[in-house]
Order: sequence, then C-alpha cells, then structure tokens
Amino acid sequence: MKKHTIRTLRRLSQGIFLLLFLFLFIQTESNGLDELGCPVRIFLDFDPLIAISTLLSAHAIVAGFFFSLIIIVLTALLGRVFCGWVCPLGTLHNAVGYFNKRRPTPIHRSWHTLKYYILFFVLASSLFTAQVAGIIDPISLLIRSLSLSVYPLVNYLTRAFFDTIYALQIPVITDGSEWVYSLLKSTVLSFGQPYFLQGIFIGTLFFLILALNLYERRFWCRYLCPLGALLGILSRFPLLKRSVSEGCTSCGICEKVCPNSAITDGDGTWRGPECLYCMDCDDLCPEGAISFGWKGRGEGVPIDLARRNVFVSLISGVAAVPLLRIVPQSRGGWFHPALIRPPGALDEGEFLKRCVRCGECMKVCITNGLQPTLFEAGLEGLWTPRLVPKIGYCEFRCTLCGQVCPTGAIEELTVREKEETRIGMAVIDTSRCLPYAYDIPCIVCEEVCPTPEKAIWLEMVKVQPREGNETILKLPRVDIERCVGCGICEAHCPVQARPAIYVISTNESRSDANQLLLNP
Amino acid sequence: MNRRDFLKKTCIAGIGISIPGTFSSLVGSLYASQYADIGVARGTPPEAITKAAIDAIGGIHRFISRGDIVVVKPNIGWDRTPEMAADTNPEVVAALVKLCYDAGAKKVKVFDNPCVDPRRSYKQSGIADAASAAGAEVSFMDERKFKDVRIDGRALKKWPLYTDILEADKVINVPIAKVHGLSTLTLGMKNWMGIMGGWRGRIHQNLHQSLVDISQVIRPTLIVLDAVRILTGHGPQGGNLSDVKTLNTVIAGTDQVAVDAYGAETLFYIKGSRLGFVRIGHETGLGTMDLSQLIIKKVDV
Repeated sequence: MKKHTIRTLRRLSQGIFLLLFLFLFIQTESNGLDELGCPVRIFLDFDPLIAISTLLSAHAIVAGFFFSLIIIVLTALLGRVFCGWVCPLGTLHNAVGYFNKRRPTPIHRSWHTLKYYILFFVLASSLFTAQVAGIIDPISLLIRSLSLSVYPLVNYLTRAFFDTIYALQIPVITDGSEWVYSLLKSTVLSFGQPYFLQGIFIGTLFFLILALNLYERRFWCRYLCPLGALLGILSRFPLLKRSVSEGCTSCGICEKVCPNSAITDGDGTWRGPECLYCMDCDDLCPEGAISFGWKGRGEGVPIDLARRNVFVSLISGVAAVPLLRIVPQSRGGWFHPALIRPPGALDEGEFLKRCVRCGECMKVCITNGLQPTLFEAGLEGLWTPRLVPKIGYCEFRCTLCGQVCPTGAIEELTVREKEETRIGMAVIDTSRCLPYAYDIPCIVCEEVCPTPEKAIWLEMVKVQPREGNETILKLPRVDIERCVGCGICEAHCPVQARPAIYVISTNESRSDANQLLLNP
Repeated sequence: MNRRDFLKKTCIAGIGISIPGTFSSLVGSLYASQYADIGVARGTPPEAITKAAIDAIGGIHRFISRGDIVVVKPNIGWDRTPEMAADTNPEVVAALVKLCYDAGAKKVKVFDNPCVDPRRSYKQSGIADAASAAGAEVSFMDERKFKDVRIDGRALKKWPLYTDILEADKVINVPIAKVHGLSTLTLGMKNWMGIMGGWRGRIHQNLHQSLVDISQVIRPTLIVLDAVRILTGHGPQGGNLSDVKTLNTVIAGTDQVAVDAYGAETLFYIKGSRLGFVRIGHETGLGTMDLSQLIIKKVDV
C-alpha cells in the first residue's frame, strides 16, 4: 500500500503546477479589456533568484519580493522541495528524462559544483549592476523559450493542420475539424500566429537543454541551474532530513533511483543541498529503511566547493560587467535608432539593471511588435524587448507589457499615462512617400494616427503633375510634439518593404538625453 | 391592404387618372404613405429610434424574411469607447440584431475588420457584448474567408472580400457618421472597407471610385446610419470628447447614395455632391443624391 504513494503525490503536485504554469502562460494574452485579470507572472514573482539579483543590481524590491521570501523560508525548512515538487522546468526535465533508459545514468559528481559557480558569477555581476540572472534563471528561461519559440511553433503546426483540412473541404470531416479548431482557438491557441526574431535560436537552445536529459537525467538541475544552486545553499541545514535505519542492506537501489544523484559514494551518503525531496528512495527502498523526518542527525555532507573556483567565478562575474559595457551603447549620446523600448520602460541604464528577459512582455504584446534584441542594446541587452513597428505597432491604449513585467523594468502605466508616453517619433521619408514623391493621394498614416489631436496632419499643397491639371494634394506632416512614436503609421504605410514613415527612438519619454526639442 | 383601403385607393387613383399629368405623383405619394425612401428618427433611447427609423420606411418585415441569414455590418474600426463616437453605437447594433430575430431571421452575424487590434475594438466599442447579448453570432474575421472577387469597376478590378457577406441572404449596413481626412466624411459606403481583405490602405489612391466600385458589389438590403453621436473632428478615429456631437438620430434607407447624401447634408451640412463617392455613385446610377426626389419621413420618439 505504501509503495509509490509519495511518488504519485509528487507527480500529481508537479502536474498541477505545470498545468497552472501553462494555464497562466496561455492567459498572458489580451482579452480586449485594459487589464489581464489574471496573475500571469506569479511564478516569476515567487522566484528568489530574480528577487535577489534585482535587489543587488538595481537596489530595487521587485513586486513579488515577499512571494519569493516564502520560497526562501520554505527551502530553509524543507530543502529543495520547489525543485522536486513545483518547478515547471524541472517537471519538463523529468518528462524528457523518462525517455532516457540508460540506468544507471553516467554521473559526473564533481560537476555538481558547476551550478554554484554559475550562481556566484551571476550574483557577482548583479552586485556590480549587470542583470544577467534572467538569461539562465529557469523560470525566465522557460517563459522566454515558450513565448518566443515553442508556443509559436505549436500554433503554427496546429493552424497548418486545420487550414489544410479546411482547404480540402471534405464533407463532414472539415465541419468536425473546424469545430475542434474553434475550440482550440478559444482555449489554448493564441489569437494570431506569433512570429519572433531569433525564435529559432532561442528554441534550439531550449530543446538542447531538454535533450541533455537523454544524456543524463535532470542534467540541467544537477549541474547548471543557478536557482537550484541558490536553493541548495539555503537548504544546507534543512529541518526535513533523510535518515536510514539499521535495516539498510546497502543494496544501492536508492543511489540508482535518485534523480539528482544526491545519494552517493556507494554507501548511501546523502547530500542535502542536492536532494530534490522527491522521496523516490523512501518509496522504492525494498527494506523500508529510508525515511524523511524532522529528527535525526542534522549533518549532511557539505557542498564541496573549491575555494579557488569560487574565487574565479566571482572574479569573472565582476569582470563580465566592464566587458559587457565597453560598447558604444554605453557611451553617452549614442542611441540606436531601432532600440524602441516598450512604453513605461525605465531609462536605458536602469532598464538593463532590471530586465530579466523573461519574454512576458513579448508574449503579451497585443500586436506581436515587441521582439527580442540581438545587439541593438549591446550584448548586455541581449533578448531584452524592443518594438519593431513593421511587425507590430504599439497599441495606443494598451498597457499590458507594464502589467506583466516582474521587475518593474517596464513600469505599469495607467491608460492615461500610456497615452502620453513617447517611445520614439515618426519620421517621413519624402523620397518614397506617395503624395510627396509621386503626387498620389494617400493619408493612411494620418488616418491611423491615434493621438486625440493627431500627430500627423495634412498640409494642402498645389501640385502640377506631369500630365493633367494642377490639383490640390494633402501631404502628411509629423507634429513631433504630439507624436508618441507608436509606429502604427509605419505598420500601415503602403510602401511596405521600406515604409515611407518610420519610427526612431528619438524623443522617448524615458530618456533625458535622447531628445530633439529644446523643451521636450 | 384591407377592403376599405382598397376602395379608397382605387377611388383616388381613378381621380388621378382623370387628371392627366398628376397621376404618377399622386400614386407616388400614396405609395410613400407606406414606404418612405428615407426614415429619420430622433430621440432616445437608441434602440427605440433605430426601430422608428426602420418603421418609417416600412418596418423590418419589409427587409428580413423568416429563415434569413443576416449580416449586420457595424463600424468597429477603432479601439474607442462608445462616447468617443469612433465606432457604431452598440445599442443601435443590438437593436438591429433584435429586430432581425423578431422578423424571423435564422442567424444574425456581426463582424468587422478593424484598423487596430480586433480584440480591443470589439470589446471597448461595446459592440461585441451588446450584439452577443442580443443573440448575434459575433466573430473576428477569419483570414481564410477572404476570397478574390471580380469587381470590374473603374478603380478596382478584383479584391479579396469576406465570403460571409457575399453568401448572406440579407446584409444590413450600420455605419456611424464621422469626418475623415481624405473622403471628408465616412458614412455608409465607406463602411464597406471593413469587409475588404488584402492591403486595403491602397484604395486611398483612388478612394471615391473604389468605394463606389465596392458598393456596386455589396448591395445592402438596408442601411441604418447611426448618428446617435457623430464625430465632427479628428476622424475617423477621434479621441476627443469635444469632437463628439450628440444628435440622437438614426437614418434608415435602402439607397446607398441617398442615405450618404442625406446624412452629409443634415448631419454635417455638406452637400452630397461635394463628396466624391456620393457624386460618382449618383453619376454611375448606384443611387441618387438628389434629395428633392426623395420621400423623407421624420419621426420624433
């Protein structure tokens, strides 16, 4: 009876949290209202690595700081239960690891320490104001990979499948498939097909990380995860401990089944900081000799970190900061024209100290316009969001990106504030604008311009075309005091390949320096 | 027509025949006592004036038959709330949906192809909620349902149009009256841009002729011009309450050119002939902009 009950419970817990995670992920999308009405970033809020690294880099308390304290306290008391019972990425690793039939899996015990060195590197960088944690934080990595790559891929496949059946118009079958399709559209699919720059790269990286489970189960959790390392350190002296009774026959089964190789040395030595508290060993011990409880010896085996390696990781973390910043982007007065940050984004320096590149803002962006940067903001800004109006403009009354940002890199704005926030300014290229260059009437940019007092206005000009009579033409002009740089003009410009009106980052509200006017 | 009416009318008709030259106008006016060309209703609430305006031109039963699949096409072009008068009044749309069902319609569909995000436009305009509550099937445009249609007009040869509107038994156009940067006004005919797919912004290069070309293809059973609130500046998107004028008016008719001409003249004091699409529509025989030829019935609610 007792057999496998804990394992079942744990799998249930993992399943529930994974489903909750995916549910919230899917809810990270507009419903037409101003508010999402769902705490979609709750997993990021609970993430102590994000809370601590932001505290160090930006000296800021993130919105979910107190949630993350819960995990910290929980881990100090119970050990890495988060990793074994909650973490959605961990659950995915479990699932993929299931296909790894090699038993026992190769174990590189000394590699365990690698994740601690990664953690030290990350925290040292944070302390010296570079926010690099988000690149490798598991929750951030998972949301980013799903948002920019996996979810678009799933959507594409599903849509292609149903579109094919639709195009074939097979009687009955097409009706059925359309019914299923509309059901999927109203539940798990996105409103429109998402497209992301670098989606392939970010996705490949994610699938490689998952594939590591085929080499060794939970490779990521064992050797790489800095959050796991942080929780490992916190669980150095947990209250919930594993103990082995006299009945142990040293059969070695527990050592084989341990998913994180926390039981080692062939003698059942237990490494508390590595234990994910899956309790499989308790479940599977043929003698029933293993138990987890509050009593017993408090001493686990310490984390065997080499002092020299700790030093090296800390120093490299510190050295990474200037290395990332010896780029022209760090120089005052250097502004990338295409680095159009989301509305409510903090001034660049402060923004980079906070942005964890979780991809929430890009996932929620109503027009798909927020895209990951490559080098527009320097390597330090890799995968941070920028608006690409040609892909999607910034919807005038939408404030979703600020609502989902876990660290306040994008401030939460009211609709009113949003309407007055400039993210750039529109520029007309008269060499290819239809009325300017070819005397062809076109007012699309003016029509779509959303500011109540339109930032694009029409100047009436008499023109003499090559043939025919003199006519009056309306020429679009930009009023830079009113333009907020939303880019809807660029998105709708009929000169599609290279729009005749486009947005540059100049005049963005967040910057005191990147301004054109004497009195902005 | 009951027996007494019949006798009365034959009697009057007989008099009409006996006076040469007056016959047609007399019979015409008799006919008009049932069906005006344009019905105008003023008052509140929007639901009541919508019904009154349609009643003035014969009532919904004249247009919708039992079992019809009806498309009610509002303007849901922008992410604005109803008081900004950038989208059709939701209560007018809902009233129309109800009227269609009252007349026995099998299904009423409501959709538009907004210029901005559809989710926000549908929701913030209030139209999605109001029309659904009235029983309409409210849906976002499905890209796959745009089919190339031969138009053979002077400006448009062919264009992808929305199949649901081409396949419907009856189409009701329910635009809102607003100003517009290029077409001066956007009324009924301009509202057909919402069933165009493709890169529709291109039609601005020859806007007036294009609108007439499209209107030749989509012949609505009924046009209900919403002027509960009209937008008098910064159209078609608005955003300033000071640009909104509350007129509590609904105009109904069956002639696309006439409704637009009448709307232009009575709501904005702009002669229909000064609007390119109205003038071309008149010249090409799509309808008439000569308001003196029309029977207009005004009702106050």
